[in-house]
Amino acid sequence: MHLFPHLLAGLEFRTLPEQLVNGLFLGAIYALIALGYTMVYGVLRLINFAHGEVYMLGAYTALFVSYALGFGVGSTVTSSSVLNLLIMLLASMTVCSIVGVVIERFAYRPMRSHSRIASLITAIGVSLFLQYAGALFLPNSPPPSINEQVNPFRGSTQLTLVGPPASALQAIRDAKPAAEQATAAFNNYLKAHPTESEFNISPAGQPLRDAARTAEDKLESAEREVTGSGVTITIRYGELIIFITSLILMGILKYLVSNTRPGRAMRAVSHDFDSASLMGVNVNSIVTFTFIVGSALAGAGAMMQATFKGTPMTTFFGLLPGVKAFVAAVLGGIGNIPGAVLGGLLMGVAETLMIWLGYSRYADAIAFVVLIVVLLFRPEGLLGSAEVDKV
Amino acid sequence: MKFWTTRIVSFIIGIGGCFVIDLLSHRFVGSYEQRLVVLAGLYVTLAVSLNLINGITGQFSIGHAAFYQIGAYTAGYVSRTYITMGGHNPPAIPWLLGMMVLGAIAASIAGFVVGLPSLRLRGDYLAIVTLGFGEIIRILVQNTDALGGSYALDKIPKIQPIWLVWLLAIVCIAVCRNLIKTARGLTFLAVREDEVASSAMGVDVTSVKVTAFIIGSAFAGAAGALLAHYEGLITPTTFTMDVSFIILTMVVLGGTGSITGSAVAAIFLSYLPEYLRGLKTSAGEPLVVSGAAVIAGLAAVVVGVAFIKRILDSGRGTPRSRALKYLGIAVGVVILEPIISFALHPIKPLSSMSIEAGQLRMVIFAATLIVLMLLRPEGVFAHHEFSWSWVRKLFGKRPVPQAEVAA
Repeated sequence: MHLFPHLLAGLEFRTLPEQLVNGLFLGAIYALIALGYTMVYGVLRLINFAHGEVYMLGAYTALFVSYALGFGVGSTVTSSSVLNLLIMLLASMTVCSIVGVVIERFAYRPMRSHSRIASLITAIGVSLFLQYAGALFLPNSPPPSINEQVNPFRGSTQLTLVGPPASALQAIRDAKPAAEQATAAFNNYLKAHPTESEFNISPAGQPLRDAARTAEDKLESAEREVTGSGVTITIRYGELIIFITSLILMGILKYLVSNTRPGRAMRAVSHDFDSASLMGVNVNSIVTFTFIVGSALAGAGAMMQATFKGTPMTTFFGLLPGVKAFVAAVLGGIGNIPGAVLGGLLMGVAETLMIWLGYSRYADAIAFVVLIVVLLFRPEGLLGSAEVDKV
Repeated sequence: MKFWTTRIVSFIIGIGGCFVIDLLSHRFVGSYEQRLVVLAGLYVTLAVSLNLINGITGQFSIGHAAFYQIGAYTAGYVSRTYITMGGHNPPAIPWLLGMMVLGAIAASIAGFVVGLPSLRLRGDYLAIVTLGFGEIIRILVQNTDALGGSYALDKIPKIQPIWLVWLLAIVCIAVCRNLIKTARGLTFLAVREDEVASSAMGVDVTSVKVTAFIIGSAFAGAAGALLAHYEGLITPTTFTMDVSFIILTMVVLGGTGSITGSAVAAIFLSYLPEYLRGLKTSAGEPLVVSGAAVIAGLAAVVVGVAFIKRILDSGRGTPRSRALKYLGIAVGVVILEPIISFALHPIKPLSSMSIEAGQLRMVIFAATLIVLMLLRPEGVFAHHEFSWSWVRKLFGKRPVPQAEVAA
């Protein structure tokens, strides 16, 4: 590990804005998953370890639906439409909701009266079970990925933030006529002497050739300077769609939680589980509602990740995103919905920054480092409020 | 007098047992089974040492593989540098003992580091931090070329005393067992039961927690040193999250807090996958089950668990009638399995899918965790321990007075 040379020499500050944008796009997916963690934790005080596996099942659902829509292995269909994407999105969200509710009903609800550690062990068990039982039944070697033809929005656009410096542009403008002139003169000379060529030239033609070469070199270096300066951001349409869809879904969630009856009940349960049930809130149905919403968000994230980024799938597809999203939830303050979004975006940015710094091999470890640091120094997270343990 | 007889008998059985295991496994079985015996011994050490942290002190740690890994890599690296690269040739067993101590020290330093957050964090948060710590260690090792990177740390001199593996397990059991019999050990149990109350009673909670982490991780580190010298080659994939979860399953299955339980569960669960892998058809090929059979099995288990859960929750009936009901449910599950399997038969993709029995390993571990938590969260042995008075009772002797039975 050579810390300092890397830190100082290898950095390309020009690419920083692009990496930051990439980080935000990556973070949008983490935020979607983190919302599921944070809502379940808010309501049940349970770390839903199996949430990453719900995400994994969402990706597989998208895969199977894309097969059903005619984008199977070796398919030659090349035209797709937004409708296909919507069908995949809704299918993933539905299947994930069902899986989430089933897990809650049969694994977590019977454990509610036991200690939190017992629930946590159950959650770990469910997570391992889905990973390994899934590996028996779902296609995973070689890891399948969704046919990219299903995505009608391929390609990318470029934003120029800072143009190249004026002096560089001026240098090009200066160098161009000279270079053209010299080249033309040399070409004329070659035309006049058909027996000679660029590499086989008589002494008479040599000054012309050299002049042409130096003039061209000058032009090239000026152009290099232009492309090498300036700050541009390449945005792939797919990632832009991920980001926008995530924002829309978060908006819907915000409306659900703050403006509807079940949302209000959910906040009540999250505030105080027992009192809410005493005040006539049907706690069980609210918990089910929470799992439906949280899992649907994870399903949407999974579908988008698998479709627009084409990540290959194994049954461990959800393990790392799940862990990172959990860290995001803790970072933002677990149980806090805006916190999960903030944490998710920060985690995405932190990860791309690690890659930018040249530590791509440690990109997965940063999540755990952030987690430990946050838990040690601000366990309530960035936006959370400290909770006093009542004895 | 009686105290000393039981002590000496235990001591002789313990030490003698190690050499008997060594002798038997060298005399009667091949190298493959010898490896199983060694792994079982290592898993006993790991499970019992994790039990000290998880079960006895109540600090929920799920990153035990990290300490195992630290011990293995430290000892492996030093041994490789000194013996294989340096060309020295020290006597094998003392050297290995030294390496175990080294591995233990390295791991216990890490244990100290992990133990510190436990002062501020409780329950599930601590679990996540230990998990994260385990992953950080693995990723660091994977990216350190001097330790073999993601490939392997190889050319570790092979020193393979089976008796030493089991001696470590016995020592680990003895340390934990004797610890909780002392006044100092009772503070560990007090911290588990109620942290606030025990600190109000004058227990130094900080030192108890950190001590538990240090002792537990030291044993795991020593086990890692043994593993490194037994295999001669270690890779980061030997120490993934799964290993931590397997050790956790052992502790949970045996009963958190029960040393006997951890040891028995460790032997059972380390042998089970090998048993599954070794299952052969009459033609001598690996046993293959269809996807339909697996689904049917899972469904039957779910039904059985649901019924048992209902009986458990209702809490009615004499022990005898309940036992009969459990038996009936077990028989029902066994009958139900082929019926569901037959019903699923028409679904072609399922019935034509073939799954080797060995692949079911982690599925069974996971299912064990869930079913156990649903039906008996305190584990099979709960807080019970093996004791001489229990043996005496088994042979029809009168139980000794309560003071000595307390376990």
